[in-house]
Amino acid sequence: MKKIDPRVKLLFIVLLTTLAVLAKDVIYLGIILLVSISINLCLKTELLMAIKRLRHFLGVLLFIAIVQSLTIKGGTVLIPIGNIALLSTKGLQFSLEFILRMSIILLSGLIAASTEGREMIDGLLKLKIPYELAFMTSISLRFIPVFSEEFRSRLNAIAMRGIDVKKLSLPKKVKVYAYLISPTISGCIMRSEELAKSMQVRGFRAYPKRTMLRELKMGVVDYLLVILSLLFSAAFLAGMYMHGVLVAF
Amino acid sequence: MQIKLENLSFKYNKKSPLVLSDVTYTFETGNSYALKGQNGAGKTTLGKLILGLLHQNSGDIYFDDINAKKISAGIRADTIGYLFQNPDLQLFAPTVIEELTFPFELKKELTAEKQAEIQKLLKDFNLSGFEDRFPLSMSLGEKQRLALATIMSRNVDFLILDEPTSSIDNEGIIFITNFINEFINNGGGAIIISHDEKFLSNLNNVTNIHLHGGALYEKN
Repeated sequence: MKKIDPRVKLLFIVLLTTLAVLAKDVIYLGIILLVSISINLCLKTELLMAIKRLRHFLGVLLFIAIVQSLTIKGGTVLIPIGNIALLSTKGLQFSLEFILRMSIILLSGLIAASTEGREMIDGLLKLKIPYELAFMTSISLRFIPVFSEEFRSRLNAIAMRGIDVKKLSLPKKVKVYAYLISPTISGCIMRSEELAKSMQVRGFRAYPKRTMLRELKMGVVDYLLVILSLLFSAAFLAGMYMHGVLVAF
Repeated sequence: MQIKLENLSFKYNKKSPLVLSDVTYTFETGNSYALKGQNGAGKTTLGKLILGLLHQNSGDIYFDDINAKKISAGIRADTIGYLFQNPDLQLFAPTVIEELTFPFELKKELTAEKQAEIQKLLKDFNLSGFEDRFPLSMSLGEKQRLALATIMSRNVDFLILDEPTSSIDNEGIIFITNFINEFINNGGGAIIISHDEKFLSNLNNVTNIHLHGGALYEKN
């Protein structure tokens, strides 16, 4: 399959996240989620791996969802406690919308991750984003695994001191994690300083104008995808407007 | 004490090749083992398996006659000390003294006796006067000595040292050579991942072991 132009991927991300924020209906959000999954499958992103990793955040998502369902009233009361509606259909609907919206945003991030850093910079440059900003965006993505590796190594270091983090009480766990944050961040800062020096010695910003080894070119498939995604989004927005499920209306 | 590996096999994921294949070997205290092999041969992986930071696909590791599967990484660390190749990743406390006292404070084991032991360690590892320094701002040699002091604060029986001479000066190499020899003479055991032949030739009771193609064998 032909490689999709990074600008098209950026358009997918903007459209999917915008639609996810604007939609306030479970069915519409469900359709956007299905589209996000389909795009990820077509792009052969690490969807399964991402879902496995998402399990760690499932607890947080569920907690927020439960708080929403308990605090937002309206609709039919499902679980009443005296005169107070503990759980209502409206609360449930809001929490479900929240989970769907977050999933769409995370899957959009996966689309961004499927693009090589170099390509992402090229794509942003073609969209007239200044080189420094485009480079910063790409580098920030590169630092996510660095941050995770730094943190994991220090968790190992903690274990190597005879501390079984899993068996610690919550206050002690908090204390251990507090110890880890500072060196992890300083480790990342040190690495970024090294990276900055390395970039300088390789002539980063030595000349105001840059030339590219590879020029990005949109193909027929790319243009078709742009037209289709814009049409789909417009139709989707119109549908949501007519059904009164747009957030602003 | 013995660390026995029995038919140990490991690969990082289903698609990757076996890093260790059916490895059987016994490490004993009173000896040092120079673990050699090409980059990516699995030397650090073997160390991490023994420490419980990774888990084997098949086979067993025994500490004397106790199957290590029953022992978490946290508990294993009371028997085996691990010196990271990069000491930056081993240190996390805001000061040198907290680096040494923190685990004992957390477990409510920081007795007057332990505090005296820690003071002695600071002296033994030439770190007296460094108590309030930020560990990550120290030189590589100092960081390595601090990392070793944190290991020795738990009176371990075995050491696994990952490329201990890769980034230190001559003085540091002499210090670590003497430290390992003294540790072995006092009845400890050490597995040293290193290609530094000069350094290895100065160690006592060294057995050369090689990892190649997932297999482990002695070679002198």
